[in-house]
Amino acid sequence: MAKNVMVVDDSASIRQVMSLTLAKAGYDVTEACDGADALGKLTGQKVNLIVCDVNMPNMDGISFLKSLKDKPGYKFTPVIMLTTESQESKKQEGKAAGAKAWVVKPFKPEQMLEAVSKLILP
Amino acid sequence: MEMRTQISGNVAEVAVTGEMNIYNAIELKAALVTAIDGAEAVELDLSGVSEFDSSGAQLLLLARKECELAGKKLTLAGRSAPVDSVIGLFNLGELFGSARQGEA
Amino acid sequence: MELELGQARQTFITESQELLQEMESALLTLEADPACQDAINSLFRSAHTIKGSSGVLGIETVEKFTHHVENLLSKMREGEILACKENIDLLLQCRDHISTLTALAADGIEVLTPEIEASGAALAARLGQWLAAPVEKKEEKQAKPPESRHEGPSSATDAWHISIRFGQDVLRSGMDPVSFISYLSKMGEVVSITTLFDSMPQASDMDPESCYLGFEIDLRSDFDKAAIEGVFEFVREDAVIHILPPFSRVASYVELIQGLPEDMLLLGEILVKGGALTKAELEEALRRQQDAEGGQEKHRIGEMLVAGGSLHPEIVDAALDKQKKNQSIAGREASTVRIDAAKLDALVDLVGELVISGANIDQHSQRMSDAALQESASVMLRLVEEIRESTMKIRMVPIGETFSRFRRVVRDISRELGKDMDLVISGGDTELDKTVIEKIGDPLMHLVRNSADHGVEGPEERRAAGKDPKGTIRLNACHDAGSIIIEVSDDGKGLNKEKITAKAVAAGLIQPGQQLTDQEVFRLIFEPGFSTAEAVTKFSGRGVGMDVVKRNIEALRGTIDIDSAPGKGTTVRIRLPLTMAIIDGFMVGVGGSPYIIPLDMVMECVELPASEKSAADRRSYINLRGAVLPFVRLREFFAESGERTGHENIVIVQYGGTRIGLVVDELFGEVQTVIKSLGRVYREIKGISGATILGNGQVALILDVPRLMQAVEASLLAMSA
Repeated sequence: MAKNVMVVDDSASIRQVMSLTLAKAGYDVTEACDGADALGKLTGQKVNLIVCDVNMPNMDGISFLKSLKDKPGYKFTPVIMLTTESQESKKQEGKAAGAKAWVVKPFKPEQMLEAVSKLILP
Repeated sequence: MEMRTQISGNVAEVAVTGEMNIYNAIELKAALVTAIDGAEAVELDLSGVSEFDSSGAQLLLLARKECELAGKKLTLAGRSAPVDSVIGLFNLGELFGSARQGEA
Repeated sequence: MELELGQARQTFITESQELLQEMESALLTLEADPACQDAINSLFRSAHTIKGSSGVLGIETVEKFTHHVENLLSKMREGEILACKENIDLLLQCRDHISTLTALAADGIEVLTPEIEASGAALAARLGQWLAAPVEKKEEKQAKPPESRHEGPSSATDAWHISIRFGQDVLRSGMDPVSFISYLSKMGEVVSITTLFDSMPQASDMDPESCYLGFEIDLRSDFDKAAIEGVFEFVREDAVIHILPPFSRVASYVELIQGLPEDMLLLGEILVKGGALTKAELEEALRRQQDAEGGQEKHRIGEMLVAGGSLHPEIVDAALDKQKKNQSIAGREASTVRIDAAKLDALVDLVGELVISGANIDQHSQRMSDAALQESASVMLRLVEEIRESTMKIRMVPIGETFSRFRRVVRDISRELGKDMDLVISGGDTELDKTVIEKIGDPLMHLVRNSADHGVEGPEERRAAGKDPKGTIRLNACHDAGSIIIEVSDDGKGLNKEKITAKAVAAGLIQPGQQLTDQEVFRLIFEPGFSTAEAVTKFSGRGVGMDVVKRNIEALRGTIDIDSAPGKGTTVRIRLPLTMAIIDGFMVGVGGSPYIIPLDMVMECVELPASEKSAADRRSYINLRGAVLPFVRLREFFAESGERTGHENIVIVQYGGTRIGLVVDELFGEVQTVIKSLGRVYREIKGISGATILGNGQVALILDVPRLMQAVEASLLAMSA
């Protein structure tokens, strides 16, 4: 069974690029447009990994991460946070919340794929 | 995940089916330790395991260590493909190679 | 991939337009309230997303420039730089520049002209001035201690040696050693791997969610050290990792063994087994190690790691709280779907056809006296009607967003001309067809510019006239019987009738001395080539103005009116149909051909009274209950030649305050009609706005009542002149 990766980003174009790249590599992809949307879509579906933007309206990535840790069945789900180099303070905050994997925006699709496959192969 | 322990004579036959991963590691550990404590030998059947991660591998290692300390015998009676692949990847074959069956 | 990325690029273009719009609103909000943190956050987020998306899509021009903007915004967000008139102004210009760059990218242009390049550089330089210390993008590689290059022999192995001890928390963070090692095995050939679990305590103390694993791996791979290190980048802080390149000094291995928590003998054997060291080398190393051992406690990795990443309960509580607050908004947001407009159009078209065939079935069922069939047909008809309504609603978009775009226009003009004015928006939630919204933007822009530029006076002039030095421009939208009315009004000096008349005479539009009503005078400004502005400013008054506005509105089947009082101001009123695609029509027959009149304009139908009949043949108006009603014989207007029936009917239509009668042969009643546009060739035909296909396959023309009225008025004028 293909591994399911959830892509959370408020930018539709970034979601589209990520989905395409991941789907090509053999992952199943679920898209969500922000943290709240992602939490809603998590329920009742197996998600093996989440790629999540930090800066989003309606629950940003870090609040999402914190909520995720409290969600039964998802607290051990690996999360890759997307950030920009200008967000060092966010990164610290994210680390405190338990974010381990970071990919710096802007990234090339292959870089994101590489990060995902390090944590989970398709 | 489902774990069934059957005592036949002084052997605990433990069969795990479904996911054997971090989400049920605590539960599994408790059951496994109980099984080991209450028997002379343990036969672990993992042929029904659908998902197996590092925490699963750790539990196997723990079971082995416990049995060794207590001088009990641990046998891996069956292992599914996911289990087999982690055992292979971690090169643990030697430790669990003495499976009586199911080593396909 | 190329093609699909093109698609994502398209999404990016649309998305960035929205984000740029948000940026602009946020900047304007900030201008009014420089302390508004929400606006700053929204600004930052928009710029951030644009930068991120353009980077991912490889649109470098946008990415590079937006990066500068984001730097400043980031400082503003942190409160290090405060928002003020100057930097808001600069940011607005930057926003415009990003907009230019995105537009170019939309056309696939990423090589900039020198002018654009220069203006970008100038803006970037100004941004740089705001940032006290220019933020440089430093690719700071983590400083690695220099590789220990002890004297001594090298190992004979051509494999990398990787020694890793995972920290206890890695599993809890979702990081699974299985994944890393699987990935590693894809980078080359794993010559040997040994799993270590010595740090695992006895069962009673063992936490199955903690990780106690360590690995010694020999990997034959062509990748370089950075790539191999990269495999473990996400656990770098939660694991102790040593990577020794092929042919490393033996001393490096020894140092490695010494640094690890496990028993040295065991480790040594693993290395020997993996081929990194020979037995002799190991023994030598061990001997040296014993000499050096000063009895100091070796630190355990576990302890080092426990201090890392613990969760603070109060942060979790705060997050939960926020989550609850967000849920209601989220519910709404999540239910938004972006649809390709073409798909929607296709749906509307189909629904239109469905409406027609539904009506057809209903007609047939009426004829067959089958009660059950009739009932089914009427239920279906009702459902079809509901579908039609919902479908039309999908296309309806509130006009507010279009309105708020003008805030910027008004602001810029105020600045430029030293005027002081407000834009007051009302009725922003009035919905109208998306097609209409798209096309109304430009004409409205023109009207708003006109008001700001020519309508509202400067503060001195206003004060002198006893008015509030601050002028007001109002944008209002509302529904009115099947139409939408959009008003652009200002409290400026009003239109100057004398000037307009003089100009019209000069342009040969009217005769000198010709008596015109106010309305007629005002309407002159919609004539081609008419512009009253004495000084042509940057914003309006280039002579291509109101006539184009009028044409655009008419293309939308709308009308435009103007009202003005000297010293009080001017109001331009645009009336637009609610929707472009389906109308409720009233079908009439003229000379055997069916025509459709938009139902919302039909006031009443009367038979042409015999008393009036003979008189009506001579003049083109009748006496309707004491009022004069001009009329037009459609038979003559459209040169229909079919049989004339015994009596004629007059359908009285009203539009924009005017009533006229349309003389027809037959009245058929209400029908729902899907408008099919006539081709380009028929565009100039007066009095017809489109056509529709009836249930029986016959084509009916749809009357363009406003233009018919104009034609009638013109002919009346001609007669009276």
